[in-house]
Amino acid sequence: MNIFFLLAIFSGIVIFEVPGLIYRKYWKELIVFFLFLGFAFTISLLAVLGVPLPSPAKGIETVVNFIIKLITGK
Amino acid sequence: MELEGGKINNLQLTFLIIGFTFGSSVIISPGKGAGQDTWLAILAGLAEGLIFAWIFFTLAAKFPRKNIIQINEAIFGSFVGKVISLLYLWYFLHLGSLVLRNFGDFFTGAIYFQTPLIVIIGLTALLAASAVRNGIEVIARCSLLLVPITMFAFIFDTVFLLPQIEITKLLPILELPLKDFLKSSHSAATFPFGETVAFLMITSSLNKNSISSMKRFALAGIIIAASFFVMAAIRNLAVLGGTAKISLYPSYVAIQLIEVADIISRLEVAVSFAIFIMGFLKISVLYYGAVLGTAQILGLRSYLPLVLPIGTIMVVLSIIQFTSAVENITWATEIYPFYSLPFQLVFPLVALILAIIKQNKAGTKKAGEAQ
Repeated sequence: MNIFFLLAIFSGIVIFEVPGLIYRKYWKELIVFFLFLGFAFTISLLAVLGVPLPSPAKGIETVVNFIIKLITGK
Repeated sequence: MELEGGKINNLQLTFLIIGFTFGSSVIISPGKGAGQDTWLAILAGLAEGLIFAWIFFTLAAKFPRKNIIQINEAIFGSFVGKVISLLYLWYFLHLGSLVLRNFGDFFTGAIYFQTPLIVIIGLTALLAASAVRNGIEVIARCSLLLVPITMFAFIFDTVFLLPQIEITKLLPILELPLKDFLKSSHSAATFPFGETVAFLMITSSLNKNSISSMKRFALAGIIIAASFFVMAAIRNLAVLGGTAKISLYPSYVAIQLIEVADIISRLEVAVSFAIFIMGFLKISVLYYGAVLGTAQILGLRSYLPLVLPIGTIMVVLSIIQFTSAVENITWATEIYPFYSLPFQLVFPLVALILAIIKQNKAGTKKAGEAQ
């Protein structure tokens, strides 16, 4: 059911954007659009399927703590 | 071809900055962690934040008609400039997702208990997407209309809360150890005052007459917003006392207590509207910065096709990165003040110093040629 919603949303976005781009012959924009949309679709599909995705907040936390350690030497 | 043809003026910039600074700070008080001294921490944070803002608005004034992506390229060269710009784009996107999550958590936690997070976040993002598609001029004009609503809502709440204020609850003042105080004031400087670095994507849209006085108007916006935060912090503390620091959303809890003549009560839902529109402004500005910058780096002819894909990424990011509202707020007070430092202070400062050096070199060269 969730996957159905996801497909509906993403096909909605494609139907909304793509005809205008093809009409104006914006090929480069079209490629970039599909790259970004593909990435968005992949991560949202994984999230919907319940695959645990790495949280960027955790990564940033590790980096920040590492740098603080380097500076203060503790 | 220019990606963004819209022009805004000084007053719109000031209002947009006020709205942006209000942003998520209307729900999560800045300087949280200072407890009794929150309002002092905000004042100290304002001083620090104004230094940040002075640095990056001076930089923007040196490069009129250029936004941070173009400034980076002009100063750091093509490659290093692009790397720094990519970091900025990530920062805008990530900050946008954090703000989305703050609002999602606030609404699901305080008003719509049964509604899933994704519904609130998705609808907010959709609203912001429509604003971004319409361009900066529309966002700026929205701020002229929406920011006064929030200001009036704030003033009315404060007047209605006057009967409940006990000024003695403000005591004791400055009981906090200096280290903790500095930590909170620094956290207030980076959230929300330093976040106005996102306006480096927007100052390039100022019209001709506004560029020279841009810095004054921008800093005025930050100061006006800060004065509201200080008033809100004093009001919350004087109403809630010691409980102000344990509640996640102190302003909201304080407003719940309003009861005038048995008729005017439960105003918090009306106020949440004012809260929401500020979040909408902040998300729109960050979203706009991320989308426009990406289109610029990739050399696209229009930024419109990127709006929805980047918005979806932002929505997914905001949902996957925290498991709970408390985790979000802890991260915002513990990690965020250090994470945001390169974007708010280091890169703009280095860029400004390099720009001044380059300018002096060019100046002496010219003087030498003239002789």
